[in-house]
Amino acid sequence: MDANAIEFENVTKTFRIHHEKINSVFEHVSNIFNRQNQFERLTVLNDVSFTVKQGEMFGIIGRNGAGKTTLLRLIANIFKADKGIVRTNGSIIPLIQLGAGFESDLTTRDNIILYGVILGFSRKEITEKVEDILKFAELEKFADTKIKNFSSGMYSRLAFSTAIQVDPDILLVDEVLAVGDESFKQKSLEAFMSFRKKGKTILYVSHSLESIKELCDRALLLHKGSVQSIGPPAAVVDAYMKVLPSHPDRKKTDVMRL
Amino acid sequence: MLERVSHLNKIWNRRSLIRTFAINDLKIRYRNSILGFFWSILEPLLMLSVLYIIFTNVVKSDIPYYPLYLLLGLIMWNMLSRGTSMGLHSIMSRGGIITKIYFPREIPAISSCITASIMLLLELVVFSIFLVAFQFVPPLTMALLPIILIIEFILVLGLSLPLSVLNVYFRDIQYIWALIVHAGFFLMPIIYRAEIFPERLQTILSLIPMTRILDMAHDVTLYNIIPSATDWAYIIASSLAILCVGYLIFKRFEARVGEEL
Repeated sequence: MDANAIEFENVTKTFRIHHEKINSVFEHVSNIFNRQNQFERLTVLNDVSFTVKQGEMFGIIGRNGAGKTTLLRLIANIFKADKGIVRTNGSIIPLIQLGAGFESDLTTRDNIILYGVILGFSRKEITEKVEDILKFAELEKFADTKIKNFSSGMYSRLAFSTAIQVDPDILLVDEVLAVGDESFKQKSLEAFMSFRKKGKTILYVSHSLESIKELCDRALLLHKGSVQSIGPPAAVVDAYMKVLPSHPDRKKTDVMRL
Repeated sequence: MLERVSHLNKIWNRRSLIRTFAINDLKIRYRNSILGFFWSILEPLLMLSVLYIIFTNVVKSDIPYYPLYLLLGLIMWNMLSRGTSMGLHSIMSRGGIITKIYFPREIPAISSCITASIMLLLELVVFSIFLVAFQFVPPLTMALLPIILIIEFILVLGLSLPLSVLNVYFRDIQYIWALIVHAGFFLMPIIYRAEIFPERLQTILSLIPMTRILDMAHDVTLYNIIPSATDWAYIIASSLAILCVGYLIFKRFEARVGEEL
C-alpha cells in the first residue's frame, strides 16, 4: 500500500492564448511578415507537486478555472507538462464527460463495443460483456437502435454502464456523479464504492464539498494554478471556504450548496 | 530506441481499436442502405461504369486494353485519394474523444488507411467483374500486384500520418491537399499515359512514387511485364522514406494535439 499511484513533481503547464486564433497555413505565412507578439502565455498550473498513494481516494477542489481539469488531463496523458514530471503507475480510466466517443449513426450495441475498445478492451472481451452492459443500463430494448435519438439520460446510462466494466488501477472522476436522476446517482455511487473496496486509486474532482468530506481520504485545494492546501478533507474544505469570495453574512451552509 | 519499440508495441496492443474504427467507418459509410453489403460493391461498379463510359468515348486512346487500363488506374488512385483524405480528417473528426481519453494518436490514421484498403479490395472485386466482361485473362505477372498494393499502403500511411496532425494545427491543409490530389489525378498515368506530356515534365513526374506505382500496376496486370529491379527499389525506398519523414513530422506535432483540438 506504500507505492505511489500518481506523482506530480513541480509540474507547470502553460497554454498559449492567441489573441486571434491562428490555425491556417495562410495566417501563419502572413504572420511572418506581421510579427507582433500575438499570444500571451497563461499559466494554468504553477509548480504543482503532490503524490497519491495506491488505494487512496483523493479529492480535488478549487474554483472554476483553478486548473482541475488540466490536472486530470495531464494524468490522463492528453496534455504534456511543460516543466516538471508526471508519473503514473498502472492503467488509468478517465470518467470525464461520459460518452464523448459515441457515434450517433451506430446502434447501441456497436457503440458499447466502440466505447469498450476505446477504454482498452479487446473486441472479444467487450463483445462478451455487451448483454450485461445493456441490462445494467436498462437499454435491452434498444440494443439494435441507432443512438441518435437517445435522451441525455440514456447516453449517460450507456456510457457509465460501459465504463464501470473496466478494471483500471486508477480512476479519474470529474463530476460524473452529478449527472442523472437520483436512482442513477445511487447506482453510480454503489459502483464507485465497489471500486474503492477493491483498493483502486480514485481521483475525485467535485464541487460538492459534502461528498469530498464524506468519501475522500485526503484532498487538495487548487487555487489559481497552485496547491493551496493538501491534507485531511475537512481542513482542505475549510481552506477552500477562505478563498471563496464570500459575503460576510453568508452562512456556511450556503457555501456548502455550491 | 527502446522507447520507440515499446510505443509500436502499444499500438499493436490496441489493434482492437484500429479494427473497430475501421469497421465503424465502413458501417457509417453504407448506413441506411437497404442493399447493405451489396451497396459496397454496387457503388464502385456504378461509379467505374460511368467513368468508363465517359472516358472511353471522350478520350480515344490507342492504349491496349484501354478500359481495363483506365479502371485499374482509377482504383489505385482512389486508394490514395480516399486514404489520405480520410486520414487527414481522422483526428479532427474524433476530437471529442481524443481530448478525453488517451490512446496512441497514430491509431486514427492507421485505421482510416485500413478502411481505404478494404474499399480498394471491394473495387478489385468489381475490377474482376470487368475482366470477365471483357474476357481478358490476366497474365501470370498479375501475382505481383499484391506487392505493389502493399507498397501503396505504406505510401498512403506515410502521407496520412502527418496530414492527420497537421490538419489540427492548420485548418486549411485540407483544401491545399484536395487541390494537390485533384492535380495529381490529371498528372498521373490514369486516363492517359505519361508519354503525352513534354519530356521534361515526364522526368519530373516519374520521380513521384505514385506515378511509378501506377505504371507498374498496369504493367503486371495487363501487359505481362515484370518491372525492373530499379523500379522496385525506387518505389520501396521512396515509400519507406515518405513513411519515415511523415512519421517524424507526426511525432513533432503530436504532443500538443490535445490542446489544439
